[in-house]
Amino acid sequence: MNPLAVIAEITHRCPLHCVYCSNPLQLAPTDSELSTGEWKQVFEQCGKLGMLHAHFTGGEPLARADLTELISSARCAGLYTNLITSGIGLNEQSLKALVDAGLDHIQISFQDSCEDAANWIAGAKAHAHKIELSRAIRRHKIAFTVNLVVHRQNLDHLEEIIAFIEQLNPDRAEIAHTQYYGWALANRAALMPTRVQVEKAVAIVAEAEKRFAGRIRIDSVIPDYYAKFPKACMGGWGRKLMLINPSGKVLPCHSAEVLPEMSFENVREKSLRWIWEESPSFRRFRREDWMPEPCRSCERRGEDFGGCRCQAFLLTGDANATDPVCSLAPAHNIVECALADTRSQVGAPVSSATSFVQLQKLNQDLWTYRTNPK
Amino acid sequence: MALPSDTDTPRLAAGCRWGGGTEQDRVILYPEGAIKLQGTGRQVLERCDGNRTFGEIIQELQKEFGKSDPEKIRADIATFLEQLQKRRIVDY
Repeated sequence: MNPLAVIAEITHRCPLHCVYCSNPLQLAPTDSELSTGEWKQVFEQCGKLGMLHAHFTGGEPLARADLTELISSARCAGLYTNLITSGIGLNEQSLKALVDAGLDHIQISFQDSCEDAANWIAGAKAHAHKIELSRAIRRHKIAFTVNLVVHRQNLDHLEEIIAFIEQLNPDRAEIAHTQYYGWALANRAALMPTRVQVEKAVAIVAEAEKRFAGRIRIDSVIPDYYAKFPKACMGGWGRKLMLINPSGKVLPCHSAEVLPEMSFENVREKSLRWIWEESPSFRRFRREDWMPEPCRSCERRGEDFGGCRCQAFLLTGDANATDPVCSLAPAHNIVECALADTRSQVGAPVSSATSFVQLQKLNQDLWTYRTNPK
Repeated sequence: MALPSDTDTPRLAAGCRWGGGTEQDRVILYPEGAIKLQGTGRQVLERCDGNRTFGEIIQELQKEFGKSDPEKIRADIATFLEQLQKRRIVDY
């Protein structure tokens, strides 16, 4: 069993401050980042391990001056290259350089269809630039995805958001419900949608899928707090993906570092093959021997692998517990309580403000913006 | 969306390409995924180069599979390409 893809979190620096950022609260310091040469060796190893995709993410990958060189080295190693970016720092010229270096796919994340709301959620004035960049992207023969994270503050105008995505003309759109880790978990009370919002969203997305068939492929990420069963997080622990953080630490997912009493290997000390095949961290939850009941005898255990280990730890304090989003989990009441909280009204409506700065002021205590690493 | 017509020129969509290690392991790489193609599927996609028309591709493959019903070959390949078009892997 080979890993299929590497998620290269090449830096945690970012000009945006999105309130649902999936990065850990403890960001990797800038002076600990892997060098260009170290990343090149990583991609060579990825190719030899039989991986197919390299996802460049961050932070903002464009914050690294050597991004073009890194894309080129991943492509030379036989990998399909995907850049997940806010687009801040990219212009027509540097976009062309990336395409020439072998970029296959670019994914731009938008925060909303409405400019003020988008800038308010990102904590930065970025929206207009992204629209301009999207037009430039369509002049190249690379795949283009628009990613839009949805939550309580923007779901009420999902139809407008979908119309906005349509006019950006991507090949693919991700309508992703917020997942509650890192900064999103810290801001959960302001982001968790109501059941009514979720049900309406499912119907709206299904309608758009039909309308866009053959033009824009929609991939939607469901909100797992409202699901009956947990998600197979990352396709299962250590089963499909390897994530390498800016300092070279190798993780099975974005947030594994929150797990206590676990240590993760570093590409500066060990080979990726050894980490994949032999390391205690990647083997820790790979099989079924760690599972408690009701997972151990559940017929779904081969599909969802007991759900997400990080979510189990973050919500119950026990990384070995059944993911509490599962309706069969002993600790499911924790999730039910979080959902009950959504009945209380939070946030001033976007329509009540005339600028993103005013929105920020009106909602001063609503959430914490993502910060930057040291 | 419609099935391909004889004058369409099927091709891999933007950001989709052949990749993979050895000749046997060739896959089509696309955003967030890959498909391993063997047999007829591979013979079809290797001809989707943006130069050949759908009509020409069908003719070539009907010759290749002389024993099978030509209309069934046409129908199967048209459906196959339509499915890949929906997944934004093929354009025509």
